[in-house]
Amino acid sequence: MSGQIVVTGLGVISPIGIGVSEFWKAALDGRSGVSAIEGFDPFPMDGYRSKVAGQIHGFAPERYLDSVQAERVDRYAQFALVAAKEALADSGLQMAKENPRRIGVIVGAGMGGMVMGEREITQLYQSQRPHRVHPNFIPVITLNSASGIVAMAHGAKGPNYTISTACSSSAHALGQAMQCIREGRADVVITVGADASITPLVFAGFCSLRALSTKYNDQPERASRPFDRSRDGFVMGEGAGALVLESSAHAKKRKARIYAEVAGYAATSEAYHMVIPREDGEEIAVTMRLAMADAGIATSQIDYINAHATSTSIGDAVEAKAIRQVFRSRADKIAVSATKSLIGHTLGAAGAIGGVATVLGIHTGQIHPTANFEEPDPACDLRGLSASVQERNVKAALLNAFGFGSNNAAVVIKRYAS
Amino acid sequence: MSDPTVTPKIVAALADYLKRDPKTIRPDLHLRDDLGLDSMAVIELLYKIEETFDLQIPDQDLVSLSTVGAVAKYVDQRLAPAKRTAGDARRLPAKGKKKN
Repeated sequence: MSGQIVVTGLGVISPIGIGVSEFWKAALDGRSGVSAIEGFDPFPMDGYRSKVAGQIHGFAPERYLDSVQAERVDRYAQFALVAAKEALADSGLQMAKENPRRIGVIVGAGMGGMVMGEREITQLYQSQRPHRVHPNFIPVITLNSASGIVAMAHGAKGPNYTISTACSSSAHALGQAMQCIREGRADVVITVGADASITPLVFAGFCSLRALSTKYNDQPERASRPFDRSRDGFVMGEGAGALVLESSAHAKKRKARIYAEVAGYAATSEAYHMVIPREDGEEIAVTMRLAMADAGIATSQIDYINAHATSTSIGDAVEAKAIRQVFRSRADKIAVSATKSLIGHTLGAAGAIGGVATVLGIHTGQIHPTANFEEPDPACDLRGLSASVQERNVKAALLNAFGFGSNNAAVVIKRYAS
Repeated sequence: MSDPTVTPKIVAALADYLKRDPKTIRPDLHLRDDLGLDSMAVIELLYKIEETFDLQIPDQDLVSLSTVGAVAKYVDQRLAPAKRTAGDARRLPAKGKKKN
């Protein structure tokens, strides 16, 4: 056991801002980063049921990264590199002074290198020239390309792996990073969540699943509306979030600024259905309870929940039901916010970006608004939601994340007290 | 006048999906409550029906497609747009809505 595990650095690249300060300012303004998709050249958008997404427009990787490094990885891994670089700089960690074998990298990614993946598959089928498949195709689409390149960029030689559990990937990455340090296998873990798969095939796949919002194609900024009565599906997003986790002893030794403590984590499976949650919310409730038990805190201590809340009809209602089950009347006093209302659902990045928002909520005392929360849904019986900033003295928070394949994650993040 | 081949095609699609005798699939059966289709299974069925009848079924129309008969009626109406009533026309968004 290695005492407390703390967060000392943050990084974000998102549809509402590149860099934590730009992201957080837009988040507190409740600004939506969802816009109309201009098209998937050469595909027109006519054939797509949904036509909106939270995209990062005008991202020029060479502005943030070494050009050789950036060119050799897919968009999601470029995002991971940008977010990790910011988080490390923010943490003040100087790799030259560290034992590199004690610095790990754990990345959560749901889809991985789909930009190159789709392009190469299409070209192969069209050209039927297998010898023209790009030599970098396999390293790029292999799902741990981001965890690999982040470690290489910073010389981190400790534990290095990728967790892929769809939409909960980086919440599990956060939990695993905490456990890795707790077990004494590393002093520091650069924890990242990244995805960039708003691509012709993946987007079509989510359309066919009928999981995406289609009612607000003419008003993109209104499309992602978790817990609102008029929600009609999620909005795809892209981006990355990064958190530097380290043992409190290590952080204190180097006099690092401590944002918060990652205190507990639970991972469960509903063993129920590939894409549908159990409607009674029981499994999600169990997951939250286990995470609080792991953190050694009671339900009465939670002040804020950064909800998974994707804006689907069933998903939000089930999560609200689970929160009510666990916290009963106290649920009314807990602030709840949905980061996906601002940036859409960034899949494998969602847990990490939600994690950054949770840490900042604790650190600044401000909970970002849930955009488009206009009319409460009786099926989502939560009073702590607001379309405005909530000023709260948050001592302990829950970060929820659930993924296809019937998996759930919950992470407890606390204000740090030595 | 409805197309008499619509219902048998839908029943055949369902029978194939559920691996059961088409004779046991009656129009009054509820997709979820009687045939045990969850929301994902309904989406898969409609995917098949879209292919069979060369249709695009908007998400908003899914709610009304609760029974075998309702699906057959819906498909029948979509295949004969000229015979729609004004009410139906309002309920059924135009196919291939223009880019916005």
